Amino acid sequence: MLNMTDIKKIYRTDSIETHALREFNLQVNEGDFVAVTGPSGSGKTTFLNIAGLLETFEEGRYELDGVDISNQNDAARSRLRNQKIGFIFQSFNLIPDLNLFDNVDVPLRYRGFNRQERKKRIEQSLEMVGLAKRIKHLPAQLSGGQQQRVAIARALAGEPRFLLADEPTGNLDSNMAQSVMTLLKEINARGTTIIMVTHDTELAAQAKRNIHVRDGRVSENVGCKTMSTSNSDVTPLSSLNAVSAQGC
Amino acid sequence: MTHSSTPSFFAENWEIGPIFRTLLRNKVGAMLIALQIAFTMTIVVNAIYIIVQRSEKMQRPSGIDEANSFFISSVGFSHDFNGLVSTQQDLNLIRSLNGVVDAIQINAVPLSGSGWSMGLQTEPGAEFDGTGTAVYMVDEHALNALDVALVAGENFSPTDIQVRTSSQTHWPDKTIITLAMANRLFPNDGLAAVGKTVYINDIEPMIITGIIDKLQAPWVGWDNVENVMLTPEIRDAKSSRYFIRTEPGERDRIMTQVESVLAKSNPGRIVKDLRSIDETRLRAYRDNSAMIRILITVMVILIIVTGLGIVGLVSFSVNQRKKQIGTRRALGASQHAIVRYFMLENLLISTAGVLLGALLTVGLNIVLVDAFSLTPIAWYYIPLGMLALWLVGQVAVYGPAKKAANIPPALATRSA
Amino acid sequence: MFHYYLKLAFKSYKRNPILTGLMVAAIALGIGASMTTITVNYLMSADPIPTKSGQLFYVQVDSWDPNRGFNDEPNTPPNQLTWTEATNLMSANKAYRQSAMAKSGAIIEPSNGDISPFEASIRLAFKDFFPMFNVPFKYGNAWDQKADDDRQMVVVLSKDINDKVFAGQNSVGKSIIIDGKSFRVIGVLASWQPLPKFYDVNNGAFDEPEALFMPFYLKQELELPNWGNTNCWKTPDGEGFSAFLQSECINFQMWVELPTLQDKRAYMAFLNNYVNDQKELGRFPRPLNNQLLNVMQWMDDQKVVADDAQIMMWLSFMFLLVCLLNTIGLQMAKFSAKSAEIGLRRAVGATKGDLFFQYTIETAAVGIAGGILGLGLAFLGLVGIRQLYGDVMNDLASLDTTMITLALLLSLLASVCAGLYPTWRACNIAPASQLKSQ
Repeated sequence: MLNMTDIKKIYRTDSIETHALREFNLQVNEGDFVAVTGPSGSGKTTFLNIAGLLETFEEGRYELDGVDISNQNDAARSRLRNQKIGFIFQSFNLIPDLNLFDNVDVPLRYRGFNRQERKKRIEQSLEMVGLAKRIKHLPAQLSGGQQQRVAIARALAGEPRFLLADEPTGNLDSNMAQSVMTLLKEINARGTTIIMVTHDTELAAQAKRNIHVRDGRVSENVGCKTMSTSNSDVTPLSSLNAVSAQGC
Repeated sequence: MTHSSTPSFFAENWEIGPIFRTLLRNKVGAMLIALQIAFTMTIVVNAIYIIVQRSEKMQRPSGIDEANSFFISSVGFSHDFNGLVSTQQDLNLIRSLNGVVDAIQINAVPLSGSGWSMGLQTEPGAEFDGTGTAVYMVDEHALNALDVALVAGENFSPTDIQVRTSSQTHWPDKTIITLAMANRLFPNDGLAAVGKTVYINDIEPMIITGIIDKLQAPWVGWDNVENVMLTPEIRDAKSSRYFIRTEPGERDRIMTQVESVLAKSNPGRIVKDLRSIDETRLRAYRDNSAMIRILITVMVILIIVTGLGIVGLVSFSVNQRKKQIGTRRALGASQHAIVRYFMLENLLISTAGVLLGALLTVGLNIVLVDAFSLTPIAWYYIPLGMLALWLVGQVAVYGPAKKAANIPPALATRSA
Repeated sequence: MFHYYLKLAFKSYKRNPILTGLMVAAIALGIGASMTTITVNYLMSADPIPTKSGQLFYVQVDSWDPNRGFNDEPNTPPNQLTWTEATNLMSANKAYRQSAMAKSGAIIEPSNGDISPFEASIRLAFKDFFPMFNVPFKYGNAWDQKADDDRQMVVVLSKDINDKVFAGQNSVGKSIIIDGKSFRVIGVLASWQPLPKFYDVNNGAFDEPEALFMPFYLKQELELPNWGNTNCWKTPDGEGFSAFLQSECINFQMWVELPTLQDKRAYMAFLNNYVNDQKELGRFPRPLNNQLLNVMQWMDDQKVVADDAQIMMWLSFMFLLVCLLNTIGLQMAKFSAKSAEIGLRRAVGATKGDLFFQYTIETAAVGIAGGILGLGLAFLGLVGIRQLYGDVMNDLASLDTTMITLALLLSLLASVCAGLYPTWRACNIAPASQLKSQ
């Protein structure tokens, strides 16, 4: 389903080279719910960006749903993102000037669905996240949890094979976080493969499978249920020192 | 999963609705661009219209051999100066020069801005209105010197030519008129005017003996600039003006030659106002050509200002919407779709602008017509102007849109 | 505080050099274009004799054709007088000062053999011409009543002619050959160029004044030619020079100085009486239609300001408007990028008034910069106008202090106006709204 072999990603600025991922290997099967944890700067966002085709990589091989990504151009990758992947972001990334209907509509337009199809899907997905009645509202009129639900509706409206969630509960209080998590589990139960990057080990524990990323590599993982360390206010530099302190 | 997309000019998935709704939420910014486009269109279309009219005016031929003709004046001042004798000597001298096609004495010159006008009427009597016409007093060499062709009737003969004194008021009994003048006097058939009698000074009869194809009056700003009559006269006056046509390429040489031989031939007079017809044309239309250049400059600068304004505002809005653009890219927008988004957004704003612009253009034109008696604008300038301003907007927005398309999709996952 | 705000403004320009540059450029172009055309219009419509333009009147009487008016629409009297009216009205001597006049020309034969004979223009006038129009003399004086009455061959030279013929020396009392006759120089003018040349706008409203000035009756005495426009509605009765002078042809102008409104009323009454008397003699077949327009009214009536100049001015105002819309947009963009800063300033206690002041200074400084740059552009624009239009525009296309002040004020006003809405919007940002990072 998702197959990463020896992925290498280097960020270059004028003077510095940072190895964000080195020999990154991961296989995710259909129907999985994978939680990716790791300290700040460990490379988990880079992993998510590459998995979601938001970034390219220097070396290695990445197959998504049987398609070799390494030789796809930007347009093809945009199309793959649109068709196969749904995104959920930490800060929701709803478009403030568009109402819920138009927000959910965004990826469907790129998909090329006709009007009736789009309308049906928008209404269904907003119904699913319990916001069908607020279809004409603007994002600013909703709470954070509701906004994230809209984002989930937007991610799901195109019926993607994968759902990539980047700290989906990072900006939410714990009640809302749990309800979003419950929603994700339901979605997974219906067959959508989910990869979720999170700091929150409690939430991660609710996933079927856990992966820990450290220093740009996958450090194996299954059943790792150590207590989370506090992750707020950890700067990337100090987190390098903090890695060894983490028990997993 | 089944889905279909309808390919049409405005494909359904082109986000026109959402863009429009977004614009409604940012009215002021969009309105500012639309207003700019509207006013720019108003100025540009009216300016182009004036330019086209002026250059059409400038392109009217005078009827004479402009490239190879010039004129010069002689003013006698000595007590014993005899205008008539001097004129005949001068003409003989000039006509004998190598490279001169022909030369005449003439009272006024086409394009020069000053001359004589009279009225001709088809019935005698002060109660009838005359048709205004410029008068050129010339001899039988005129057709050759002025390079005009007879289309009916005949040229003056040497015996037709009468001497005209300074304050003489009566006129010869023959005249040659332009076809335009003939058509105005005899609206049904100008060519049949030959042999007909017209009246000058209300009651003095003149017979039209010939009709020439085309010759302009001296005043280029006159509405009836092609109303011209030739009278068979040689003027007996202290000052005399000569019109000279040369062989191609010989004009400049002959101009200097004529000036010096005339100056030397008689110390009791001065020669002045030596000027080629090319130069005369430049002077005649200087105001028009200056206006054209100024309007072109204004238009170009204005379009640049408006274009840069759009570039500035769109660049800014791209900057403000970076996160949104990254998100759109993450959700599957191709770079092309991002470019299209901004182009469409601009197209919608411009459409409002050019619609308002069309109204303002007509409005300004009405004001100009009213206040400065310009002619009303031709309808097709409006759609052409709209198209042009649409294009300006699209060109201006393309750069920033391209930049927007280069915003990486990974920006979506970067925390704000 | 002002300095502090000015400093903040400059910091802000540094942060957004492109937006700031665009704004300055837009204002500069708008100001440059409008100032160029305003200057031309301003000089074309300038009052050529401000101290008494309200007291000088151009005399018009309707001596025209019974069958049709001088102008089709509206029914205005002819723009010049016949010889008969010019001389009759002068003889009546009913105004405080008065001068009929005409344009002519003749050949001057300098006594100095090095200078070849040349043609010069002549203004035929009466003695009052000089005091009435405040004409400055360098040497000598105007002629007197006797010279007018006796048709003396005296001449007043323009400065240029005196420079040319007498090398700029005091030539009063010397003789000069004009039209083959010997004239006595009685005065030499200092530089004098009224703009427009109001006393005879029919013959080139922006031409130079004539080279020679001499008593009006010499026209008849020497049979001097008609220069300038001559219009006739009726053929002169008979041939020859005197027949022309007796005819209904118009080639003469007349100005009167009437210091008070009463004087003007009295003169108008006199004109009406005069015309009625002439009607008795079988002249003046048209209804009574006399006119006394003062200098500025006459300039307006004669459309001294070219249509093109006005069209250009109105187009350039619209141009300025576009530039201002442009500036408003850019200003809004710039301020909206600063909403966080504005929120912060509000949070730390800046009042709306403080902020309004601060941002108004910021926009005003942009305006001044644009104004200065615009003046430079206007200067270039005027150089361009002079080149395009040639000699005519030489005196009509130069900036004076009034225009420079106007340009700076206009740009300041324009930019502050353009800044008002964006500034108002910026100042209305709620203090706390921008503090929360999103």
